This record gives sequence, structure tokens and C-alpha cells, in this order.
Amino acid sequence: MKAELRRELLGHGATVVGFAGLRGYLEGEIAHLDRAVSIGVDRRLNEDTLSILVKLQKRAVRILKSRGYRTLAIPPDSDRKKGTFISKLYSLFNHKMAATSAGLGWIGKNGLLINAEYGPRLSLATVLTDAPFHPDEPMEFSLCGDCALCMTYCPSNAITGSEWSRSSPFVELVRLNACRSYKATKRATDGKPNCGLCINICPYGRKNGTAEQSKTTVQHMTAKSLRTQR
Amino acid sequence: MATEEKKKELLEKLRNAVIQYDEDTAKEAAQETLNEGLDANDAIFNGLVSGMVEVGRMFEAQEYFVPELLMCADALYAGLDILKPHVKQLDLGVKGSVVIGTVEGDVHDIGKNIVKMMFDVAGFTVYDLGRDVPLDKFVQEQLRTDSDLVCLSAMMTTTMTGMKKVIEDLRAKNPNVKIMIGGAPVSQDVADKYGADGYAKDATNALKDAINMIESLKKMKDEVEAKKAK
Repeated sequence: MKAELRRELLGHGATVVGFAGLRGYLEGEIAHLDRAVSIGVDRRLNEDTLSILVKLQKRAVRILKSRGYRTLAIPPDSDRKKGTFISKLYSLFNHKMAATSAGLGWIGKNGLLINAEYGPRLSLATVLTDAPFHPDEPMEFSLCGDCALCMTYCPSNAITGSEWSRSSPFVELVRLNACRSYKATKRATDGKPNCGLCINICPYGRKNGTAEQSKTTVQHMTAKSLRTQR
Repeated sequence: MATEEKKKELLEKLRNAVIQYDEDTAKEAAQETLNEGLDANDAIFNGLVSGMVEVGRMFEAQEYFVPELLMCADALYAGLDILKPHVKQLDLGVKGSVVIGTVEGDVHDIGKNIVKMMFDVAGFTVYDLGRDVPLDKFVQEQLRTDSDLVCLSAMMTTTMTGMKKVIEDLRAKNPNVKIMIGGAPVSQDVADKYGADGYAKDATNALKDAINMIESLKKMKDEVEAKKAK
């Protein structure tokens, strides 16, 4: 069933699909749904990543339900309808935790999920279920190594440089207040707070990505952003 | 006009959509019901609500847990949103208005929201004060809206005591108002001790009790008015 589900999702637009066992990692209300299907879609600016993710989730739910399993689809962070009953439970759950448990990547110094092939450029959604499939191998440690580009170039000095590991998930990687207050000063095209430098700079998943190239791009970007700020 | 068979099929579809927590099917079935020219009341009570009653039973039997319960409620609302504008006259023999809220200090409002939903479905006018509601607010709102019923909810033993004060204050201002209480630590004993008119174990019981209470209240009012008229 796992293979079929993976094939089905990858065939309909998923970039990566992983299966996680989450026993012991979930709050009481959702603890009985201790398997997770973690779905990542590569962010492409010309496509509606969100709608693809939501469609993929529905597909996964349909397949699991047709086999008689329970499901709870946790929508992508940017698609949480307010005011529904179930939205109260979303805050109990973290997509990145499911993704690392499914071995899709690790948490980088920038606090984002880093996939070895696509870097921090995946949008995530999760379907929790009680289907007893065998989980994929989880990611235990960060593979960032000595690279600290995101920390060096973070305009708000929000990145602490600490290393993530699965056994210590509560280490502070990013000083969220610092990140947020900088973002608030910098509103991009759609008027929402925006920055995203730590995504662009990450050498993982960059097209022909080497650290050297990232550096020049960032210098260019920083200069540009300074101009627009003035 | 739709045949009996078609009608039965659609009611079953609505019911199952709620039980299977399938929002899309609930919407689809609700729209079909309207297209076939079926009575919206019938669809709500013998389709959606009948499904929710079954969900309540499954919840009690611990076949369903909180997430399933919440998703079922969302599916019910999805169908209800489509059907409600087409309800010609929702006549349960009584029409009432109700003030509802979770008492001060308590932020647990899932149960309260489900009770509220049952009142919504039954065509009551609902004044929802939300959660962590200051105790005075219940009295003020009851007087402002002249509601027949006040429903208090508390999840914790520490906040439950606040209900006693609300009940005393309400009685002092308006002896005729009916008061119901509910929540995890509440029992019939507590309801008797605090002087509440009713205690409801769950949402379905809350609705039944509420209808009975308002009936008796309306009767009382009629008798008083009849005496005055003489």
C-alpha cells in the first residue's frame, strides 16, 4: 500500500513523499493517528503550489479511507481556514517534524526543512493516519556541516547557528522575534511581511548550486534590498 | 419531484458524508438535494443531523476520537451552509433564543461549539459569547437579548465554580430564565447544587432538554399573560 500511495502521489505532482512513524511525538488528542504521510512540493513561483498540495492531500485521504483507515489531513501552514472546528487542533502539529521523521530532510540552521536534493524549497502538507505501514528511516542529524551562509547573511541576525538533531528538537535555531520584526519592515509585492534570504542562500537544492555562487547572488540581493529600503 | 428512492439515497449520502467526515461529499449531496427539489428541513434533520447523532454514539463508544468528531462537525456545517438559506420554516413547535459561552478562566470551547451547532441546526437564535467570558457578561447579555435560555460551559473544576455565581446573579435579575450547564467536571449533582435547571451530558441531550425547558417556559408565560388579561 505504501508503494502504491507513493507512486500515486508522485504521479500527481508531489516532489517528495515520505512515511513517518510518530508514536510518542504527538499530543493526546491526535496520538491515535501515529503514522504520517508527509508530502512536499517544490516551490515554483509560476504554479499554485498550495492547490497542488491540497489536491494531493485529498487524494491520499481518499486512498487511505477506501482501505478503511482513519485520516486527519493537516493542511499546509498557509492554507488554514479559520473558524472550522478542526483548525483548533492544527496548532498541535508541526509539518517539519513529520518530514524529518519520514526522512525527507533535516532542520537547517535557518530553521527550515532542508531536503538534500531540493534544499529549503519545499512546501509541506501532512496526512495523519492509523494505517499500520512500515515507516521510512527518520533523519537524525543536520547535514548542514560547517556551512553557515544563512547565518552570515541573515539581515536581522536572527539565526543562532545552533545545530538541529532529532533528539534535541527544542534548541533555538532562529530568534523568531528578530526575524519577525525585520520582516515587518520589508513588505514584498503582495503586502505581506517577507524576506526569504535564508531560503535563497541555501546551497542545497540551488540550480548548479555551489556555495560560491550563492555568495555572489546574496551580495547582489542584499545590495538590491538596501536600495529599495532607501 | 424526486422519487422516494432518490430521496432515500440522498439522505443516506448526507448522513454518510457526516459520518465519514467528508466535506466535499456533504456539499455535493446538499446541492443535489436542492437540485432535486427536496425539502431542506428533511435533508438537515434526516440527513446531516442523523449522521451527527450516529457520530455522537461512535464518540461515546470510543470508536471516534476528538479529531474525527471535529471533522464530522465541519462536514455537517459545510452541508448546512448550502441548505440553510432554503429552509422555509423550521418549526419544532418552539422557537427560542439562547445565550451560550464558556465561563471566565476557561478557554476550552470545543464542547460549547458543538452544543452551539445543535442549537443552530434546530433554528434557535444563538448569542455566542465565546470563551473565557467574564461572569457579568452572561447576565448583561441575557437581559439585552431577553433570551429564554442561558448555557454555561466549563472544562475545569477550578472554573466550574464561576457558574454558581452566574446562576445566582441571573436568578436575582430574572427568575424566569432557564439555565443549563455542561462540561467535563459537571454532573447532575453539581447542577442541582448550583441551582441550574438542566445539565446535559452531551450536545444531543442539551438540545432535547433545551426544547423541553423552553416549552415549559413559554407555557408559564402564556399562563401569566392569560391571568393578566382577565
